[in-house]
Amino acid sequence: MRNYLSTRWGIIFTGAVIGVIAVTLQKLGNPANMGICVACFERDMAGSLGLHRAEVVQYMRPEIAGLVLGSFLVALVKKEYQPRGGSSTIIRFFLGVFAMIGALVFLGCPWRALLRFSGGDWNAIAGLLGLAIGIAIGVAFLKNGYNLGRSYKLKKSAGWVFPAFMAALVIMVALNFRVSETGPLFFSEKGPGSQHAPLIISIIAGIIIGILAQRSRFCTMGSIRDIILAKDFHLASGVIALVISAFVFNFLYGQFKPGFEGQPIAHTAHIWNFAGMVLAGLAFALAGGCPGRQLILSGEGDSDAAVFVMGMIVGAGISHNFMLASSPAGVGAFGPAAVAIGLIFCLIIGFTMREKVS
Amino acid sequence: MNSATNMYSVVLFHSTNYAIWASNILKRNSVEHKMIPVPRHLSSDCGYCVRFLSKDRDIVYDLLMNNGVLFDKIEEI
Repeated sequence: MRNYLSTRWGIIFTGAVIGVIAVTLQKLGNPANMGICVACFERDMAGSLGLHRAEVVQYMRPEIAGLVLGSFLVALVKKEYQPRGGSSTIIRFFLGVFAMIGALVFLGCPWRALLRFSGGDWNAIAGLLGLAIGIAIGVAFLKNGYNLGRSYKLKKSAGWVFPAFMAALVIMVALNFRVSETGPLFFSEKGPGSQHAPLIISIIAGIIIGILAQRSRFCTMGSIRDIILAKDFHLASGVIALVISAFVFNFLYGQFKPGFEGQPIAHTAHIWNFAGMVLAGLAFALAGGCPGRQLILSGEGDSDAAVFVMGMIVGAGISHNFMLASSPAGVGAFGPAAVAIGLIFCLIIGFTMREKVS
Repeated sequence: MNSATNMYSVVLFHSTNYAIWASNILKRNSVEHKMIPVPRHLSSDCGYCVRFLSKDRDIVYDLLMNNGVLFDKIEEI
């Protein structure tokens, strides 16, 4: 049967729907310009689990679980559920850690960078430029033989573990599970972590996006990589659709506020907005997908992608505990040093994990 | 449409560098081809494949085998 969502119009539809849903989630309670942000939401989840103690960013975001479960369910139905793994696991974990460190210096994943731009936050431009440069560096490594080795088929149960973990987290938040009165789970009482759309709407939104993204293979990193490597604009058309639909609905909802200063959950240190996303983009390219795509692949049974996600969650804990993450006040004390270390790590991986290509 | 003259086939690989390697070899041997993202109906991976005219299947197969380029499979699209 023809997969409509794999066509050009399908990817445009997917991007447009993600844009509309994200901006609508903001209207319904999610933080400004953060209707969906995989990095921010995984950071909030890390906080809710107690992996960091930044009190303003702790909430068990149901959208993340929804993305994984939506992908998992549709992959099962469409017979695309393929448990696989075994491709340089520990490297993928640390690529996830450093991807998160870079994203939290900028304050957002590629999806949020696009949403920030669509909402008039021009600080996102430096981040998007950095993202493109980071991916271009990654593509240069790909052209020179970089790869993390092939993955192998695994037993069915290997692919169930991550979706089951996500389902457990949703159940915990639905039951308002707490070990003691103060947590865990921790829930912010003020700040971005306290701002969220109603639980059921967040879950449904995540599942819808998970289904669409699985069927269309929507990927922001892939969109830039495909343009550079194969002059293919298929995925890019979805990304552009996301920006346009988010802009239109931000405008309709009165959420479009152009400028550099005073933007929500953002800072104006352009160099570090840029450099943070160079690191994140490079890590995404070396790992083979943006954070959203990694969640979708995790749902399909790709345990290598799931390990990358776990790296991002642990990376969020490290970012806040070691004062690497930025805040609206500016870049974290050790953020620049961590970006430098991350870039060195990625360059070493890029240069050493190579095979013949000519 | 029973002629293979204008039909395309793709070579699928386990990793991107093999697709790039294959493309380099086909380019050197003047075999018409294009590196493209794997068609969605063939695989759910983000990866790349090499598309070529189906009539060149034997030439492509021999070039890849003779140069030791590991590939998953060749499929008509």
